[in-house]
Amino acid sequence: MEKERFLSVDWQSPDMNSGAVADQLPRPFLDLGWEQPVHHDAKFESAISSLVSSPSLNPSSGNGSVVVRELVGWLGSICDSGDISQTSCYSTPLNSPPKLTLPVLGHRQQGGGGLPMPGNEMADGQFTGFAANPGFVERAPRSSCFGAWSYGGLGDQSGLPEAGNLSRVPSSHSLKSAGALQMGVPDNGKDASKSNPERIETEMRSKLGGGMPPSSTSGRTMASGAANNVSKRKAASRGRGKEAPLSSSNVNSPTAAEDEHPDAKRCKPAKTNGADKDSVVKQETEQNIGASQKKGKENNAKPQEPPKDYIHVRARRGQATDSHSLAERVRREKIGKRMKLLQDLVPGCNKITGKAVMLDEIINYVQSLQRQVEFLSMKLATINPQLDFDLETLLQKNMHQEHEPLPQQVYPSEGTSTAFSYAQQHQGSPLQSAITNGLGVGQQPLCPFDGLADATSQLGSFWESDLQYVVRMGIGQSQGAEFFSQSLHAD
Amino acid sequence: MDSKGSACSNPNPNPTFGPSKLMLAFRFLRALSIVHRTTPASSPTCRGRRIERAAYASMAYSAGTSRAWSRAVLRRLHHRARRRAVAPRRLSTTAGNRAEALRRLVPGGAGMDYCTLLEETADYTKCLSMQVELMQGIVDSASSNGR
Repeated sequence: MEKERFLSVDWQSPDMNSGAVADQLPRPFLDLGWEQPVHHDAKFESAISSLVSSPSLNPSSGNGSVVVRELVGWLGSICDSGDISQTSCYSTPLNSPPKLTLPVLGHRQQGGGGLPMPGNEMADGQFTGFAANPGFVERAPRSSCFGAWSYGGLGDQSGLPEAGNLSRVPSSHSLKSAGALQMGVPDNGKDASKSNPERIETEMRSKLGGGMPPSSTSGRTMASGAANNVSKRKAASRGRGKEAPLSSSNVNSPTAAEDEHPDAKRCKPAKTNGADKDSVVKQETEQNIGASQKKGKENNAKPQEPPKDYIHVRARRGQATDSHSLAERVRREKIGKRMKLLQDLVPGCNKITGKAVMLDEIINYVQSLQRQVEFLSMKLATINPQLDFDLETLLQKNMHQEHEPLPQQVYPSEGTSTAFSYAQQHQGSPLQSAITNGLGVGQQPLCPFDGLADATSQLGSFWESDLQYVVRMGIGQSQGAEFFSQSLHAD
Repeated sequence: MDSKGSACSNPNPNPTFGPSKLMLAFRFLRALSIVHRTTPASSPTCRGRRIERAAYASMAYSAGTSRAWSRAVLRRLHHRARRRAVAPRRLSTTAGNRAEALRRLVPGGAGMDYCTLLEETADYTKCLSMQVELMQGIVDSASSNGR
């Protein structure tokens, strides 16, 4: 029962306040929950007393009693049940620890320090027992007071930009209150010391960093619960009839992963009608501590923002998750891949880093190649005869048996091309090496042109297009045929 | 056509695979022979231009029509052949914007997005380098065999 009273106290204070205290309460409690038990006792007591004694809390103490009763009853049920369903409100194991300390701290206050501060142990016990804020928020609609509190506490965007983000502990408010707690000063002393907040912030950060792994291990049950919850939420969001675009589905398949993967946020339409705050909190809790706080604040600032695009790309840690940035990242990755390919193609570009310089190199290389083609073509224009001879010689060596079968109406080149293709099939390497040598030396005789007739009809159309170009160049058909026949029959 | 089509066309979107050197060589050599036969030796520049066009044509045919740049090259060549225009000239890339310069260099690059442009540049560069190798080999062999 002490637990409930503590919890009621926690709820009470936020209920009174518009929400500033509510956020302050969990955070210092969350942080302190990671500290050593002994450390907690004094801190909690002083903190709670200070908070309770704050003028903002006092006025509505009377009203709060009624609220408290309801809260107590509800919390008692939660405590007693302590089943996994409670853990479903945990989005990720990372976020559970911070929320767990909430009731623990509440404990402290009422018990007057009588209860041993379980610290993490109790936190573990209460992992399953107590619902974190998201869980509370879930049940908010059930009780008006809860709803008021939850929305006031978590949904107060104006008061605290990080209202809903319990995972982001190092916030100025929490630091302030934590500082107050640690120093045991009254509420008005929250802003007394700024030095403490920094210290506490670092402490919190280190604790959270260190605490996350243990929490993740201990919170496996919660992880499953969180997964269930998240999957439920996602199913609900999916059920809203949104279809992922084709491109995003392509991206999704390689990047699909579990929900409770701590290192990534899933880009999902988190904001749903009627569950905005809830989803806000959940999305916040899904974020890593250290993940884009800016993004989280963005989410907080507009809880009603339109649902995100179903691009299903894993947003990397510390990166934004809106559809535009994800598409941009995909595009940038594609461009990066292509640039790597080009880097391999262009010789001497291995050391170059940077797209601009690389592009310059590519441009230079293509330009140089084109200039080379022009130059070589000019050169080839002058060294005409030998080439013809070579070609004739090569063809002759292999054609001496096949002169007659070659049909004249069909372009002889087709026959030769057939032979080439045949050669490629049978003995690709010797011919290829000959070709790669520029056909300079006729040491590699072409393969015998076997089955010319068979392949001719097959490849006729293929070469037709090529020869058509030649035709368009001003060469008559008859001329071409005549030329080839000459080359073939010449000695 | 299947054997040659598969060897010459490039249905694989991955630009690592390029057209086969063999077919390129054959096409080019044949076209070269035709040019030598048909153009008078008195006009080496004209012949040179034709050879250059033949080189690009063989490149484009070897690459197949699956590539945007090869389609653009063939389109340009056919148009020019019909209209008897001057051989397509390369534009110098003095533009500050590198993407623009690249677009002007790669045939058909004007109507592409940047991503496709890079891909086409890769394929075009590969084909171009193969063509240059081939022509260089021919020149070397011809000069070595030359009397």
